[in-house]
Amino acid sequence: MNIKHLTDDELDLALAGEGVPGEVAEHLASCVACRRRRDSFLAAVAGERAEDPDEATRERVREGALAAWSGKGRQRHWKRWLAAAAAVVVVGLLPVLRSEFTARPNVNAEALLVEVDDVLARDPLAAVAPAEVVEAVAPAPEVGGEGSWS
Amino acid sequence: MEHEDELELIALAKGGDRDAAAELLVTHELMIFRVCRRLLPRGEDVEAAVQDTMLRALKNLAGFTGQGSFGGWLAAIAVNLCRDRLRRRRLVPFLALETPDDDAPDPLAVIPSSEPDPERVAMARQAVERMRREVGRLPRRQQEVFVLRFFAGLDLDGIARALAVDVGTVKTHLHRAVQRVRAAIEEAKP
Repeated sequence: MNIKHLTDDELDLALAGEGVPGEVAEHLASCVACRRRRDSFLAAVAGERAEDPDEATRERVREGALAAWSGKGRQRHWKRWLAAAAAVVVVGLLPVLRSEFTARPNVNAEALLVEVDDVLARDPLAAVAPAEVVEAVAPAPEVGGEGSWS
Repeated sequence: MEHEDELELIALAKGGDRDAAAELLVTHELMIFRVCRRLLPRGEDVEAAVQDTMLRALKNLAGFTGQGSFGGWLAAIAVNLCRDRLRRRRLVPFLALETPDDDAPDPLAVIPSSEPDPERVAMARQAVERMRREVGRLPRRQQEVFVLRFFAGLDLDGIARALAVDVGTVKTHLHRAVQRVRAAIEEAKP
């Protein structure tokens, strides 16, 4: 009996997990030689598992990721609480701050102007310079002195 | 894990539940290891890539909408992260596998050599080694499709979603990849 085996293409399609025609699937189920080809491929692929890391390595890697993630999460929560607290403080202080910035001392403008007029009447230069400067630049004449104009 | 259970864990993890997040990672971590290991060249820090994948996933849990599987979503993150690493380091993806590091321990040494039939075991180990080498030599897109199909266990739709390509493209790349890898494995036969 001359058995017609699967072609490479048919086998590759079956290995790739693509839908194969019914006769291909049937042949694969019954033909030892074709099944052996398929199984040797799958066994080699499964051999990859031999290189899987041990439990200790897996745990170390996993815990590292979890620590970095939850640390970040905690930081985010901490910042959120801080922002909320800051908002509460600002809202609470708002009336105080407003009065601080808007309040002006009560000034009696009339009395102030009277006082200025009084100073200017007594000594006009006091309005433009301090007394010691005025004294240095324009000393008061000595009464009855040498340089006095009489 | 049932799909509903997983969705519940995802919802809890989104709310910051560490235990739920840990359980999700435990379920999928081997898949992430396998994907990163096969997509990064030898010598690259696979553990760091896996951890970065996990962290990126946890930080972006809100981005998982429930469309497609959570495993597929994680696999997509792993693929993107591996691409980023290769791009950043400007590595030629297949360089390391074409010039194997002689100092690296033989990964196949973990397969017991005291099996009843040493010849068959030797052949199986040779087949695994050929499979790895050929996967490493595949063009980048074929490599990603192959890894997602056989190491992440995604179906064709899942791969298409993870790589943001259409299913037809996945089929084409997967068919070519399987053709090459299967041929390489069969060369190991006596």
